Amino acid sequence: MKRLIKMIVKMISHPATLLLISGIMVSYTLLYLWLTGDMAGGGLGGWHATFPAWERVFEQRGAFQFEPVGLVSIGGVVWTFSPLNTLLAMTMGLLMGLNIAAGWWLRTRPRQCRLRGAGTSWLALPPALLAGGACCAPLILIWLGLPIAGALAGMAPYLVPGALLLLSVGLWHSLQQLVR
Amino acid sequence: MSLKSLRYVTLLVAVGIAPALSAHGAPPSQAPQVPLAYSVEEFRDAIRSGGPGKDGIPSIDRPRFQSANQAALSADDKVIGVYHRGQARAYPQRILVWHEIVNDELGGDALSITYCPLTGTALGFKRGETQFGVSGKLVNSNLVMYDRATDSEWPQILGVAIDGPLANEGLEEFRVFWTTWGAWQARHPETEVLTEETGFVRNYRRDPYGSYNPISGYYAPDSRRLFPVMQRDDTFPPKRVVFGLRTRDGALAITQEALRSESVIDVALGESHYTVIHDPGLDTGWAFSNPEEISVNAAELDFTAEGVTGPGIDLLEPVNGFEAMWFAWAAFYPDTYLHE
Repeated sequence: MKRLIKMIVKMISHPATLLLISGIMVSYTLLYLWLTGDMAGGGLGGWHATFPAWERVFEQRGAFQFEPVGLVSIGGVVWTFSPLNTLLAMTMGLLMGLNIAAGWWLRTRPRQCRLRGAGTSWLALPPALLAGGACCAPLILIWLGLPIAGALAGMAPYLVPGALLLLSVGLWHSLQQLVR
Repeated sequence: MSLKSLRYVTLLVAVGIAPALSAHGAPPSQAPQVPLAYSVEEFRDAIRSGGPGKDGIPSIDRPRFQSANQAALSADDKVIGVYHRGQARAYPQRILVWHEIVNDELGGDALSITYCPLTGTALGFKRGETQFGVSGKLVNSNLVMYDRATDSEWPQILGVAIDGPLANEGLEEFRVFWTTWGAWQARHPETEVLTEETGFVRNYRRDPYGSYNPISGYYAPDSRRLFPVMQRDDTFPPKRVVFGLRTRDGALAITQEALRSESVIDVALGESHYTVIHDPGLDTGWAFSNPEEISVNAAELDFTAEGVTGPGIDLLEPVNGFEAMWFAWAAFYPDTYLHE
Protein backbone atom coordinates (compact mmCIF):
# COMPACT_ATOMS: atom_id res chain seq x y z
CA MET A 1 0.00 0.00 0.00
CA LYS A 2 2.87 2.37 0.82
CA ARG A 3 4.21 1.92 -2.68
CA LEU A 4 0.83 2.78 -4.16
CA ILE A 5 0.55 5.92 -2.06
CA LYS A 6 4.08 6.90 -3.04
CA MET A 7 3.08 6.48 -6.67
CA ILE A 8 0.06 8.76 -6.19
CA VAL A 9 2.32 11.37 -4.52
CA LYS A 10 4.73 11.03 -7.42
CA MET A 11 1.90 11.54 -9.89
CA ILE A 12 0.52 14.66 -8.21
CA SER A 13 4.05 16.08 -7.88
CA HIS A 14 4.14 16.23 -11.64
CA PRO A 15 2.59 19.63 -12.60
CA ALA A 16 0.95 18.45 -15.82
CA THR A 17 -0.55 15.40 -14.09
CA LEU A 18 -1.75 17.51 -11.17
CA LEU A 19 -3.43 19.87 -13.62
CA LEU A 20 -5.09 16.94 -15.38
CA ILE A 21 -6.34 15.42 -12.11
CA SER A 22 -7.59 18.77 -10.80
CA GLY A 23 -9.34 19.56 -14.07
CA ILE A 24 -11.08 16.20 -14.16
CA MET A 25 -12.03 16.45 -10.49
CA VAL A 26 -13.57 19.89 -10.86
CA SER A 27 -15.37 18.99 -14.10
CA TYR A 28 -16.69 15.76 -12.66
CA THR A 29 -17.83 17.48 -9.45
CA LEU A 30 -19.71 20.13 -11.39
CA LEU A 31 -21.28 17.52 -13.68
CA TYR A 32 -22.32 15.32 -10.76
CA LEU A 33 -23.83 18.24 -8.86
CA TRP A 34 -25.67 19.33 -11.98
CA LEU A 35 -27.04 15.83 -12.63
CA THR A 36 -28.17 15.42 -9.03
CA GLY A 37 -29.93 18.76 -9.21
CA ASP A 38 -27.76 20.49 -6.59
CA MET A 39 -26.66 22.90 -9.31
CA ALA A 40 -29.16 24.27 -11.77
CA GLY A 41 -30.46 27.36 -13.49
CA GLY A 42 -32.91 29.79 -12.02
CA GLY A 43 -30.49 32.48 -10.82
CA LEU A 44 -31.60 36.06 -11.17
CA GLY A 45 -28.16 37.52 -11.85
CA GLY A 46 -25.58 38.91 -9.47
CA TRP A 47 -24.58 36.77 -6.55
CA HIS A 48 -26.16 35.84 -3.28
CA ALA A 49 -25.37 33.27 -0.59
CA THR A 50 -27.33 32.14 2.43
CA PHE A 51 -26.81 29.17 4.74
CA PRO A 52 -29.93 28.79 6.86
CA ALA A 53 -30.06 25.02 7.43
CA TRP A 54 -26.79 23.76 8.90
CA GLU A 55 -28.80 21.54 11.23
CA ARG A 56 -29.76 19.42 8.20
CA VAL A 57 -26.17 18.71 7.16
CA PHE A 58 -26.44 14.95 7.89
CA GLU A 59 -30.09 14.50 6.86
CA GLN A 60 -30.49 12.13 3.93
CA ARG A 61 -33.02 12.73 1.16
CA GLY A 62 -32.15 9.60 -0.79
CA ALA A 63 -29.40 7.08 -1.26
CA PHE A 64 -26.14 9.04 -0.93
CA GLN A 65 -28.04 12.30 -1.24
CA PHE A 66 -28.05 14.79 1.60
CA GLU A 67 -30.09 17.87 2.41
CA PRO A 68 -28.65 21.20 1.30
CA VAL A 69 -27.68 23.58 4.07
CA GLY A 70 -27.38 26.72 1.98
CA LEU A 71 -28.07 28.36 -1.33
CA VAL A 72 -25.47 30.08 -3.49
CA SER A 73 -26.66 32.01 -6.50
CA ILE A 74 -24.09 33.23 -9.03
CA GLY A 75 -25.39 34.78 -12.23
CA GLY A 76 -27.89 32.37 -13.73
CA VAL A 77 -26.70 29.40 -11.66
CA VAL A 78 -28.18 28.33 -8.33
CA TRP A 79 -26.27 25.91 -6.12
CA THR A 80 -28.17 24.32 -3.26
CA PHE A 81 -25.09 23.51 -1.24
CA SER A 82 -24.72 20.28 0.69
CA PRO A 83 -21.22 19.74 2.13
CA LEU A 84 -21.62 15.95 2.02
CA ASN A 85 -22.92 15.84 -1.55
CA THR A 86 -20.03 18.07 -2.58
CA LEU A 87 -17.51 15.94 -0.69
CA LEU A 88 -18.90 12.81 -2.32
CA ALA A 89 -18.76 14.39 -5.76
CA MET A 90 -15.19 15.60 -5.19
CA THR A 91 -14.11 12.17 -3.94
CA MET A 92 -15.49 10.49 -7.04
CA GLY A 93 -14.01 13.23 -9.20
CA LEU A 94 -10.61 12.76 -7.58
CA LEU A 95 -10.80 9.00 -8.10
CA MET A 96 -11.81 9.55 -11.71
CA GLY A 97 -8.92 11.99 -12.19
CA LEU A 98 -6.41 9.61 -10.62
CA ASN A 99 -7.71 6.75 -12.76
CA ILE A 100 -7.33 8.69 -15.96
CA ALA A 101 -3.93 10.07 -14.95
CA ALA A 102 -2.71 6.59 -14.04
CA GLY A 103 -4.00 5.30 -17.37
CA TRP A 104 -2.21 8.11 -19.13
CA TRP A 105 1.05 7.31 -17.33
CA LEU A 106 0.67 3.64 -18.22
CA ARG A 107 0.27 4.51 -21.88
CA THR A 108 2.92 7.18 -22.14
CA ARG A 109 5.68 5.56 -20.06
CA PRO A 110 7.47 2.65 -21.70
CA ARG A 111 6.78 -0.60 -19.92
CA GLN A 112 7.68 -4.16 -20.68
CA CYS A 113 4.25 -5.31 -19.71
CA ARG A 114 1.64 -2.68 -20.54
CA LEU A 115 -1.75 -3.61 -19.19
CA ARG A 116 -5.24 -2.28 -19.61
CA GLY A 117 -5.60 -0.30 -16.37
CA ALA A 118 -7.09 2.80 -17.90
CA GLY A 119 -10.00 0.98 -19.44
CA THR A 120 -11.49 0.13 -16.07
CA SER A 121 -11.90 3.79 -15.13
CA TRP A 122 -14.26 4.35 -18.02
CA LEU A 123 -16.46 1.54 -16.71
CA ALA A 124 -17.01 3.56 -13.54
CA LEU A 125 -18.20 6.68 -15.32
CA PRO A 126 -21.78 5.67 -16.27
CA PRO A 127 -22.86 4.39 -12.83
CA ALA A 128 -21.34 7.42 -11.14
CA LEU A 129 -23.18 9.81 -13.42
CA LEU A 130 -26.39 7.82 -13.37
CA ALA A 131 -26.37 7.87 -9.57
CA GLY A 132 -27.39 11.48 -9.79
CA GLY A 133 -29.93 11.09 -12.52
CA ALA A 134 -31.73 8.22 -10.85
CA CYS A 135 -31.80 9.67 -7.38
CA CYS A 136 -33.24 13.13 -7.21
CA ALA A 137 -33.14 14.61 -10.68
CA PRO A 138 -35.07 12.73 -13.35
CA LEU A 139 -33.90 15.55 -15.58
CA ILE A 140 -31.61 13.49 -17.75
CA LEU A 141 -34.22 10.78 -18.28
CA ILE A 142 -36.79 13.38 -19.19
CA TRP A 143 -34.41 14.86 -21.69
CA LEU A 144 -33.68 11.44 -23.07
CA GLY A 145 -37.39 10.61 -22.99
CA LEU A 146 -36.66 7.15 -21.68
CA PRO A 147 -39.35 5.34 -19.68
CA ILE A 148 -36.68 3.58 -17.62
CA ALA A 149 -36.73 5.82 -14.59
CA GLY A 150 -38.50 3.09 -12.61
CA ALA A 151 -35.66 0.63 -13.14
CA LEU A 152 -32.95 3.20 -12.43
CA ALA A 153 -34.71 4.52 -9.34
CA GLY A 154 -34.63 1.03 -7.84
CA MET A 155 -30.91 0.83 -8.56
CA ALA A 156 -30.14 4.20 -6.94
CA PRO A 157 -28.80 2.80 -3.64
CA TYR A 158 -26.22 0.77 -5.57
CA LEU A 159 -25.07 3.32 -8.14
CA VAL A 160 -22.79 5.46 -5.96
CA PRO A 161 -21.14 2.58 -4.06
CA GLY A 162 -20.87 0.71 -7.38
CA ALA A 163 -19.13 3.70 -8.94
CA LEU A 164 -16.79 4.13 -5.95
CA LEU A 165 -15.93 0.43 -6.04
CA LEU A 166 -15.24 0.42 -9.77
CA LEU A 167 -13.16 3.59 -9.55
CA SER A 168 -11.16 2.23 -6.59
CA VAL A 169 -10.55 -1.14 -8.23
CA GLY A 170 -9.55 0.55 -11.47
CA LEU A 171 -7.10 2.85 -9.69
CA TRP A 172 -5.62 0.04 -7.62
CA HIS A 173 -5.17 -2.04 -10.77
CA SER A 174 -3.48 0.80 -12.68
CA LEU A 175 -1.21 1.72 -9.76
CA GLN A 176 -0.16 -1.91 -9.41
CA GLN A 177 1.05 -1.81 -13.00
CA LEU A 178 2.85 1.47 -12.50
CA VAL A 179 4.83 0.39 -9.43
CA ARG A 180 5.99 -2.86 -11.02
CA MET B 1 -64.34 -5.70 44.73
CA SER B 2 -61.92 -8.61 45.14
CA LEU B 3 -58.39 -8.44 43.80
CA LYS B 4 -59.31 -11.10 41.21
CA SER B 5 -62.30 -9.09 40.00
CA LEU B 6 -60.18 -5.97 39.84
CA ARG B 7 -57.71 -7.79 37.61
CA TYR B 8 -60.52 -8.89 35.28
CA VAL B 9 -61.90 -5.37 35.12
CA THR B 10 -58.43 -3.95 34.43
CA LEU B 11 -57.88 -6.55 31.69
CA LEU B 12 -61.28 -5.86 30.11
CA VAL B 13 -60.66 -2.11 30.15
CA ALA B 14 -57.21 -2.63 28.67
CA VAL B 15 -58.58 -4.87 25.91
CA GLY B 16 -61.39 -2.43 25.32
CA ILE B 17 -59.19 0.60 24.86
CA ALA B 18 -56.45 -1.17 22.91
CA PRO B 19 -58.04 -0.59 19.48
CA ALA B 20 -58.67 3.03 20.39
CA LEU B 21 -55.05 3.43 21.45
CA SER B 22 -53.75 1.79 18.29
CA ALA B 23 -55.80 4.20 16.21
CA HIS B 24 -54.84 7.20 18.31
CA GLY B 25 -53.98 10.14 16.14
CA ALA B 26 -54.84 8.28 12.94
CA PRO B 27 -56.26 10.36 10.09
CA PRO B 28 -60.07 10.36 9.93
CA SER B 29 -61.05 7.52 7.63
CA GLN B 30 -64.12 5.71 6.41
CA ALA B 31 -65.16 3.00 3.99
CA PRO B 32 -63.84 3.97 0.53
CA GLN B 33 -66.14 6.32 -1.37
CA VAL B 34 -64.30 5.67 -4.63
CA PRO B 35 -64.26 2.72 -7.00
CA LEU B 36 -61.36 0.31 -6.57
CA ALA B 37 -60.42 -1.28 -9.87
CA TYR B 38 -57.90 -3.53 -8.16
CA SER B 39 -57.49 -5.17 -4.78
CA VAL B 40 -55.12 -3.55 -2.30
CA GLU B 41 -52.82 -6.53 -2.83
CA GLU B 42 -52.65 -5.76 -6.56
CA PHE B 43 -51.95 -2.10 -5.81
CA ARG B 44 -49.20 -3.16 -3.39
CA ASP B 45 -47.64 -5.34 -6.07
CA ALA B 46 -47.57 -2.30 -8.39
CA ILE B 47 -45.58 -0.14 -5.94
CA ARG B 48 -42.28 1.15 -7.35
CA SER B 49 -39.49 3.10 -5.72
CA GLY B 50 -39.51 6.68 -6.90
CA GLY B 51 -35.83 7.16 -6.05
CA PRO B 52 -35.80 9.37 -2.95
CA GLY B 53 -36.30 7.57 0.35
CA LYS B 54 -39.04 8.05 2.92
CA ASP B 55 -39.32 11.80 3.57
CA GLY B 56 -36.52 12.29 1.02
CA ILE B 57 -39.05 14.67 -0.49
CA PRO B 58 -39.87 16.52 2.73
CA SER B 59 -43.40 17.65 3.48
CA ILE B 60 -43.86 21.21 4.71
CA ASP B 61 -45.00 20.88 8.30
CA ARG B 62 -44.69 24.48 9.42
CA PRO B 63 -45.93 26.49 6.45
CA ARG B 64 -45.60 30.25 6.46
CA PHE B 65 -47.75 32.61 4.45
CA GLN B 66 -47.64 36.09 3.01
CA SER B 67 -50.26 38.39 1.61
CA ALA B 68 -51.16 38.32 -2.07
CA ASN B 69 -49.42 41.62 -2.82
CA GLN B 70 -46.15 40.32 -1.35
CA ALA B 71 -46.12 37.22 -3.55
CA ALA B 72 -43.66 37.21 -6.45
CA LEU B 73 -45.81 35.21 -8.84
CA SER B 74 -46.75 35.71 -12.48
CA ALA B 75 -50.40 35.62 -13.46
CA ASP B 76 -49.83 32.40 -15.46
CA ASP B 77 -47.91 30.58 -12.71
CA LYS B 78 -49.71 27.49 -11.53
CA VAL B 79 -50.98 27.43 -7.97
CA ILE B 80 -53.02 25.03 -5.89
CA GLY B 81 -55.78 26.97 -4.23
CA VAL B 82 -57.80 26.14 -1.12
CA TYR B 83 -60.85 27.94 0.18
CA HIS B 84 -61.94 26.58 3.53
CA ARG B 85 -64.23 28.13 6.13
CA GLY B 86 -63.90 31.57 4.60
CA GLN B 87 -60.11 31.48 4.33
CA ALA B 88 -58.24 31.30 1.01
CA ARG B 89 -54.70 30.11 0.53
CA ALA B 90 -52.56 29.58 -2.54
CA TYR B 91 -49.72 27.08 -2.72
CA PRO B 92 -47.40 27.80 -5.65
CA GLN B 93 -46.73 24.74 -7.80
CA ARG B 94 -43.05 25.64 -8.01
CA ILE B 95 -42.78 25.20 -4.22
CA LEU B 96 -44.98 22.13 -3.95
CA VAL B 97 -43.07 20.34 -6.70
CA TRP B 98 -40.22 20.03 -4.16
CA HIS B 99 -42.38 19.01 -1.19
CA GLU B 100 -45.61 17.44 -2.53
CA ILE B 101 -47.40 17.74 0.83
CA VAL B 102 -48.21 20.69 3.08
CA ASN B 103 -49.55 19.81 6.52
CA ASP B 104 -51.56 22.91 7.21
CA GLU B 105 -54.39 24.26 9.37
CA LEU B 106 -57.23 26.31 7.95
CA GLY B 107 -60.25 27.56 9.81
CA GLY B 108 -59.31 25.39 12.77
CA ASP B 109 -59.17 22.21 10.69
CA ALA B 110 -56.03 20.14 10.18
CA LEU B 111 -55.65 19.63 6.46
CA SER B 112 -53.06 18.22 4.08
CA ILE B 113 -52.70 19.79 0.67
CA THR B 114 -51.03 17.27 -1.63
CA TYR B 115 -49.60 17.54 -5.10
CA CYS B 116 -48.06 14.86 -7.30
CA PRO B 117 -46.00 16.35 -10.17
CA LEU B 118 -45.74 13.04 -12.02
CA THR B 119 -49.52 12.70 -12.39
CA GLY B 120 -50.42 16.41 -12.26
CA THR B 121 -52.89 15.88 -9.43
CA ALA B 122 -53.69 18.11 -6.46
CA LEU B 123 -55.95 16.77 -3.71
CA GLY B 124 -56.82 17.81 -0.18
CA PHE B 125 -57.26 15.42 2.73
CA LYS B 126 -58.34 15.88 6.32
CA ARG B 127 -55.46 14.70 8.47
CA GLY B 128 -56.80 14.73 12.03
CA GLU B 129 -54.04 14.87 14.63
CA THR B 130 -51.42 13.33 12.39
CA GLN B 131 -49.46 14.51 9.39
CA PHE B 132 -48.86 13.00 6.01
CA GLY B 133 -45.40 12.44 4.57
CA VAL B 134 -43.95 11.32 1.25
CA SER B 135 -43.13 7.61 1.33
CA GLY B 136 -40.80 7.75 -1.68
CA LYS B 137 -42.93 5.10 -3.37
CA LEU B 138 -45.12 5.39 -6.44
CA VAL B 139 -48.13 3.54 -7.82
CA ASN B 140 -48.96 4.31 -11.44
CA SER B 141 -46.41 7.17 -11.10
CA ASN B 142 -48.62 8.62 -8.36
CA LEU B 143 -47.36 9.84 -4.98
CA VAL B 144 -47.81 7.29 -2.20
CA MET B 145 -48.31 9.18 1.05
CA TYR B 146 -47.95 7.72 4.51
CA ASP B 147 -49.55 8.92 7.69
CA ARG B 148 -47.21 9.43 10.63
CA ALA B 149 -49.61 7.89 13.15
CA THR B 150 -50.05 4.40 11.69
CA ASP B 151 -47.54 4.36 8.80
CA SER B 152 -50.34 3.26 6.48
CA GLU B 153 -49.66 3.99 2.82
CA TRP B 154 -52.11 5.96 0.70
CA PRO B 155 -51.79 6.53 -3.07
CA GLN B 156 -52.91 10.12 -3.54
CA ILE B 157 -55.29 9.60 -6.49
CA LEU B 158 -56.93 6.68 -4.71
CA GLY B 159 -57.20 8.24 -1.25
CA VAL B 160 -57.48 4.69 0.07
CA ALA B 161 -54.80 2.94 2.13
CA ILE B 162 -53.24 -0.02 0.35
CA ASP B 163 -50.88 -1.04 3.14
CA GLY B 164 -50.63 -0.76 6.91
CA PRO B 165 -53.20 -0.91 9.72
CA LEU B 166 -55.68 1.27 7.80
CA ALA B 167 -55.57 -0.76 4.57
CA ASN B 168 -58.89 -0.56 2.70
CA GLU B 169 -59.90 2.60 4.56
CA GLY B 170 -60.57 5.82 2.66
CA LEU B 171 -59.55 9.36 3.61
CA GLU B 172 -61.90 12.33 3.82
CA GLU B 173 -61.22 14.68 0.94
CA PHE B 174 -61.87 18.36 0.44
CA ARG B 175 -61.73 20.39 -2.74
CA VAL B 176 -58.52 22.04 -3.86
CA PHE B 177 -58.12 23.93 -7.12
CA TRP B 178 -55.49 23.51 -9.80
CA THR B 179 -55.45 26.92 -11.40
CA THR B 180 -53.28 29.93 -12.14
CA TRP B 181 -52.20 32.67 -9.77
CA GLY B 182 -54.00 35.30 -11.81
CA ALA B 183 -57.27 33.39 -11.73
CA TRP B 184 -56.99 32.55 -8.04
CA GLN B 185 -56.15 36.10 -7.01
CA ALA B 186 -59.05 37.45 -9.05
CA ARG B 187 -61.45 35.08 -7.26
CA HIS B 188 -59.86 35.49 -3.82
CA PRO B 189 -58.12 38.91 -3.57
CA GLU B 190 -57.51 38.39 0.17
CA THR B 191 -55.79 35.06 -0.33
CA GLU B 192 -52.62 34.21 1.54
CA VAL B 193 -49.72 32.64 -0.31
CA LEU B 194 -47.27 29.98 0.87
CA THR B 195 -43.77 31.44 1.19
CA GLU B 196 -40.42 29.91 0.32
CA GLU B 197 -39.56 29.78 4.03
CA THR B 198 -40.28 26.08 4.18
CA GLY B 199 -37.50 25.09 6.56
CA PHE B 200 -35.64 23.48 3.65
CA VAL B 201 -33.23 24.78 1.06
CA ARG B 202 -34.47 24.23 -2.48
CA ASN B 203 -34.11 26.00 -5.81
CA TYR B 204 -37.70 27.17 -6.02
CA ARG B 205 -37.09 28.93 -9.32
CA ARG B 206 -36.52 25.66 -11.08
CA ASP B 207 -38.88 22.75 -11.65
CA PRO B 208 -36.89 19.51 -12.03
CA TYR B 209 -39.52 18.03 -14.35
CA GLY B 210 -40.14 20.85 -16.80
CA SER B 211 -42.34 23.90 -16.91
CA TYR B 212 -46.03 24.79 -16.92
CA ASN B 213 -45.40 28.37 -17.98
CA PRO B 214 -44.80 27.76 -20.87
CA ILE B 215 -45.58 24.06 -20.85
CA SER B 216 -42.56 21.87 -21.56
CA GLY B 217 -40.55 18.85 -20.43
CA TYR B 218 -42.40 16.14 -18.55
CA TYR B 219 -45.60 18.20 -18.53
CA ALA B 220 -45.92 18.41 -22.32
CA PRO B 221 -49.02 16.43 -23.37
CA ASP B 222 -47.12 14.14 -25.74
CA SER B 223 -44.15 13.48 -23.48
CA ARG B 224 -43.66 9.99 -22.15
CA ARG B 225 -44.38 8.80 -18.65
CA LEU B 226 -41.39 7.60 -16.61
CA PHE B 227 -42.74 4.72 -14.56
CA PRO B 228 -44.80 1.65 -15.47
CA VAL B 229 -48.58 1.67 -15.01
CA MET B 230 -51.10 -1.04 -14.16
CA GLN B 231 -53.23 -0.24 -17.21
CA ARG B 232 -52.13 1.61 -20.30
CA ASP B 233 -54.69 3.55 -22.33
CA ASP B 234 -53.60 5.37 -25.48
CA THR B 235 -56.93 7.09 -26.16
CA PHE B 236 -55.20 10.42 -25.50
CA PRO B 237 -51.59 11.55 -25.21
CA PRO B 238 -50.31 10.49 -21.77
CA LYS B 239 -50.14 13.93 -20.16
CA ARG B 240 -53.35 15.36 -21.55
CA VAL B 241 -55.31 16.83 -18.68
CA VAL B 242 -58.79 15.56 -17.83
CA PHE B 243 -61.17 16.61 -15.08
CA GLY B 244 -62.10 13.54 -13.12
CA LEU B 245 -64.51 12.57 -10.44
CA ARG B 246 -65.08 9.24 -8.81
CA THR B 247 -67.96 7.96 -6.75
CA ARG B 248 -69.21 4.58 -5.62
CA ASP B 249 -71.03 4.46 -8.95
CA GLY B 250 -67.79 4.64 -10.91
CA ALA B 251 -65.30 7.11 -12.31
CA LEU B 252 -65.85 9.83 -14.89
CA ALA B 253 -63.25 11.74 -16.89
CA ILE B 254 -64.08 14.83 -18.92
CA THR B 255 -61.63 16.41 -21.32
CA GLN B 256 -60.89 20.06 -20.63
CA GLU B 257 -62.01 20.93 -24.14
CA ALA B 258 -65.43 19.33 -23.61
CA LEU B 259 -65.84 20.98 -20.22
CA ARG B 260 -65.00 24.42 -21.61
CA SER B 261 -67.20 24.12 -24.67
CA GLU B 262 -70.28 22.52 -23.06
CA SER B 263 -70.23 24.53 -19.79
CA VAL B 264 -72.72 22.16 -18.12
CA ILE B 265 -72.40 18.41 -18.58
CA ASP B 266 -74.99 15.93 -17.34
CA VAL B 267 -73.89 12.31 -17.22
CA ALA B 268 -75.20 9.04 -15.87
CA LEU B 269 -72.86 6.82 -13.90
CA GLY B 270 -74.52 3.51 -13.22
CA GLU B 271 -77.95 4.31 -11.82
CA SER B 272 -76.94 7.79 -10.68
CA HIS B 273 -76.78 11.16 -12.38
CA TYR B 274 -74.10 13.77 -12.06
CA THR B 275 -73.70 17.33 -13.26
CA VAL B 276 -70.35 18.96 -13.90
CA ILE B 277 -70.21 22.74 -14.37
CA HIS B 278 -67.33 24.58 -15.97
CA ASP B 279 -65.97 27.50 -13.96
CA PRO B 280 -64.57 29.89 -16.58
CA GLY B 281 -62.75 31.96 -13.95
CA LEU B 282 -60.69 29.15 -12.48
CA ASP B 283 -60.93 26.99 -15.63
CA THR B 284 -61.97 23.94 -13.67
CA GLY B 285 -65.08 21.92 -12.98
CA TRP B 286 -67.55 21.79 -10.13
CA ALA B 287 -69.04 18.31 -9.80
CA PHE B 288 -72.38 17.47 -8.23
CA SER B 289 -74.50 14.44 -7.62
CA ASN B 290 -77.84 15.19 -9.26
CA PRO B 291 -80.20 12.31 -8.47
CA GLU B 292 -83.31 14.35 -9.32
CA GLU B 293 -81.81 15.28 -12.71
CA ILE B 294 -82.39 18.96 -12.02
CA SER B 295 -81.70 21.10 -15.04
CA VAL B 296 -78.95 23.70 -14.64
CA ASN B 297 -78.69 26.65 -17.00
CA ALA B 298 -75.13 27.90 -17.47
CA ALA B 299 -76.32 31.42 -18.27
CA GLU B 300 -77.91 31.75 -14.82
CA LEU B 301 -74.84 30.74 -12.82
CA ASP B 302 -72.49 32.91 -10.80
CA PHE B 303 -69.04 31.94 -9.59
CA THR B 304 -68.08 33.44 -6.25
CA ALA B 305 -65.52 32.81 -3.54
CA GLU B 306 -67.99 30.35 -2.02
CA GLY B 307 -68.34 28.46 -5.28
CA VAL B 308 -70.97 28.17 -7.99
CA THR B 309 -74.38 29.64 -7.22
CA GLY B 310 -77.59 29.82 -9.20
CA PRO B 311 -81.06 28.27 -9.58
CA GLY B 312 -81.08 24.62 -8.58
CA ILE B 313 -77.49 24.47 -7.32
CA ASP B 314 -78.54 24.27 -3.66
CA LEU B 315 -80.43 21.06 -4.44
CA LEU B 316 -77.29 19.32 -5.69
CA GLU B 317 -74.77 17.43 -3.61
CA PRO B 318 -71.12 18.46 -4.20
CA VAL B 319 -68.73 15.72 -5.28
CA ASN B 320 -64.96 16.15 -5.21
CA GLY B 321 -63.23 16.41 -8.56
CA PHE B 322 -59.73 17.22 -9.73
CA GLU B 323 -57.53 17.52 -12.78
CA ALA B 324 -55.21 14.64 -13.67
CA MET B 325 -52.95 13.51 -16.46
CA TRP B 326 -54.86 11.04 -18.61
CA PHE B 327 -52.39 8.15 -18.29
CA ALA B 328 -52.68 8.22 -14.51
CA TRP B 329 -56.45 8.54 -14.42
CA ALA B 330 -56.82 5.63 -16.84
CA ALA B 331 -54.33 3.54 -14.86
CA PHE B 332 -56.26 3.93 -11.58
CA TYR B 333 -59.70 3.85 -13.16
CA PRO B 334 -59.49 1.67 -16.28
CA ASP B 335 -63.30 1.37 -16.38
CA THR B 336 -63.75 5.13 -16.34
CA TYR B 337 -66.58 6.70 -18.27
CA LEU B 338 -65.09 9.20 -20.68
CA HIS B 339 -66.83 12.35 -21.88
CA GLU B 340 -65.04 14.12 -24.71
